[in-house]
Amino acid sequence: MTAYTIQANQHQKIQLTKPGEYRISLVGAGAEVEVQGSFMTVGTDKTDVTVIIHHQAPHTRADTTLRGVGRDRAQIRFVGRIIIDEDCGDSNSFLTERILLLSDQATAEAVPDLEIKTDDVKCSHAASISRIPEEHLFYLMSRGLNRMSAEELIITGFLEL
Amino acid sequence: MARFAQKHSDAFDPNAGDTYEHGYSYSTSGYSHIIKPGLTEGVVQEISHIKEEPDWMLQLRLTAYQQFLAKPTPTWGADLSEIDYDKIHYYLRPTDDQVSSWADVPPEVKATFDRLGIPQAEQNVLAGVKAQYDSEVVYGSLQNIWAKDGVIFLSMDEALKTHPDLVKEYFGKLIPSGDNKFSALNTAVWSGGSFVYIPKGVQVKMPLQTYFRINAPNAGQFERTLIIVDEGASVHYVEGCTAPAFSSSSLHSAVVEIFVKKGGRCQYTTIQNWYKNIYNLVTKRAHVGEDAEMVWTDFNMGSKVTMKYPGFILAGKGAKGETLSMALASSGQHQDTGSKAIHLAPHTSSTIVSKSISKDGGRTSYRGLVNVGPHAHHSQNTVICDALLLDSRSRSDTYPVDRIFNSQVTIQHEATVSKIGDDQLFYLMSRGITEENARKMIVNGFIDDLVRKLPLEYAVEMNRLVEYEMEGSIG
Repeated sequence: MTAYTIQANQHQKIQLTKPGEYRISLVGAGAEVEVQGSFMTVGTDKTDVTVIIHHQAPHTRADTTLRGVGRDRAQIRFVGRIIIDEDCGDSNSFLTERILLLSDQATAEAVPDLEIKTDDVKCSHAASISRIPEEHLFYLMSRGLNRMSAEELIITGFLEL
Repeated sequence: MARFAQKHSDAFDPNAGDTYEHGYSYSTSGYSHIIKPGLTEGVVQEISHIKEEPDWMLQLRLTAYQQFLAKPTPTWGADLSEIDYDKIHYYLRPTDDQVSSWADVPPEVKATFDRLGIPQAEQNVLAGVKAQYDSEVVYGSLQNIWAKDGVIFLSMDEALKTHPDLVKEYFGKLIPSGDNKFSALNTAVWSGGSFVYIPKGVQVKMPLQTYFRINAPNAGQFERTLIIVDEGASVHYVEGCTAPAFSSSSLHSAVVEIFVKKGGRCQYTTIQNWYKNIYNLVTKRAHVGEDAEMVWTDFNMGSKVTMKYPGFILAGKGAKGETLSMALASSGQHQDTGSKAIHLAPHTSSTIVSKSISKDGGRTSYRGLVNVGPHAHHSQNTVICDALLLDSRSRSDTYPVDRIFNSQVTIQHEATVSKIGDDQLFYLMSRGITEENARKMIVNGFIDDLVRKLPLEYAVEMNRLVEYEMEGSIG
């Protein structure tokens, strides 16, 4: 497990490159963090990413984005959890998990949890799992790309944060 | 909190007024049978014996009892450590027979249901009614126009006597006794509940309703409901729950199994308003066939702890499932609710909408599962959870899980947590509305799209209940 601690009025950007468990604690008022991670999985990869954002002080901000692409027989699992403690008013936290599945053998699990113990917060999460929409492919293919390169282009854009 | 203030049970007084006070009860001295508290194999045998059940049911109960003992109490959700299984009465029989006329219902039971407004509602808007008082169904009726179409609406105990083959074919097939600790407990000591069969092509246009009432202290209510909607048929089943105030806790653990066959439709509405001392641990599941539809509308306002996750198994091509869940948790309450969507067939779609409100230190949790199997291609699921926190002592959690085993799907999940915005309050108050009314309006607006799905009479009632809960809640 990797742990990060964000102090008062600090602003940090964290780029996740490896699967694993990350715990990020916002301990001082005014702490801000931006967490991003994008993961491409192929073959029989098993990618398991857990991110816990723990707000322990008021006026804290966090924005977490996880993206993954599953090919072949890969398994992707994203677990995100936002915890906002008591008396942490004026805190905002957002969590987004997006997964593209490109093969029928690939599997995905998205778990976006929230535990909110104070009322003066703005907090939301969103998760989606889908394949590349046929209209997106059609648009690019109507401009002369073949299916393969259209897919590659969309995936590259999807994983770029 | 006037609604949850302590009240006492009195001996029955026929001259008492006819207004129902929330949390009120009559004493149980006139009961025809109460089994001593505590659960043993002997109790299970005694219940089965009293009911003169066939041997297969007794064996099922005994196996379930062993499963109940073997399974640990789940710790992943709400706190259940305070339930004392030895203090609970597992079987209380208020009267000897079910009757079909209000005039024959014992006076104190009748007074309770009268005060809840039940006979009146039956005359006006309902196709059929069951009323369950502690362990037994004491009253039942079904309007003739539905009975002549072959609609069966019986208590589960009656059904076991009159339609044993049908019961044996479906009982425990969707929720086996070993599903979880509380389904095992229910299977071991079940009593009462409804049995509904809607024949092919029959559309029951008025709701069927069952009222559940726990009247005795330390009572356990373990009703068992089985609904079978045959091909092309449709039904709307409504259950309402109330209980009086006692200092000790009671346990309500129901199992509801629903089979919706090809092209059928079933809507199951729960308005749960148990008193704040009830543990409400319920297992509900529907099996949905080809092009059929299942809708759960689940409103949880009362109880101390509720753990309830109505689920649907979309087993036929084109099946649809929908859950609309609303929870309101006040001080000392934990509403741990949600829904399970299991997609097994192609072109299936499901929607789960959950709205929760926490106030005065209450806690609401959404806990859900979306599982899309390898054969369920071209399936869609949308989950929306909105939570409203009314003060800084309350808590809201969201625990969703999406498990996807196939790529040709569209899965979306969204959740938000917020409070009543100062700007919203300011807007309404600048137009001359008091703060209290402004808050009520905002909360009613928050749940409006769910309440709209209820039949009109219940929607009005629901809005009133929410307003009642909001009374004097300016923080």
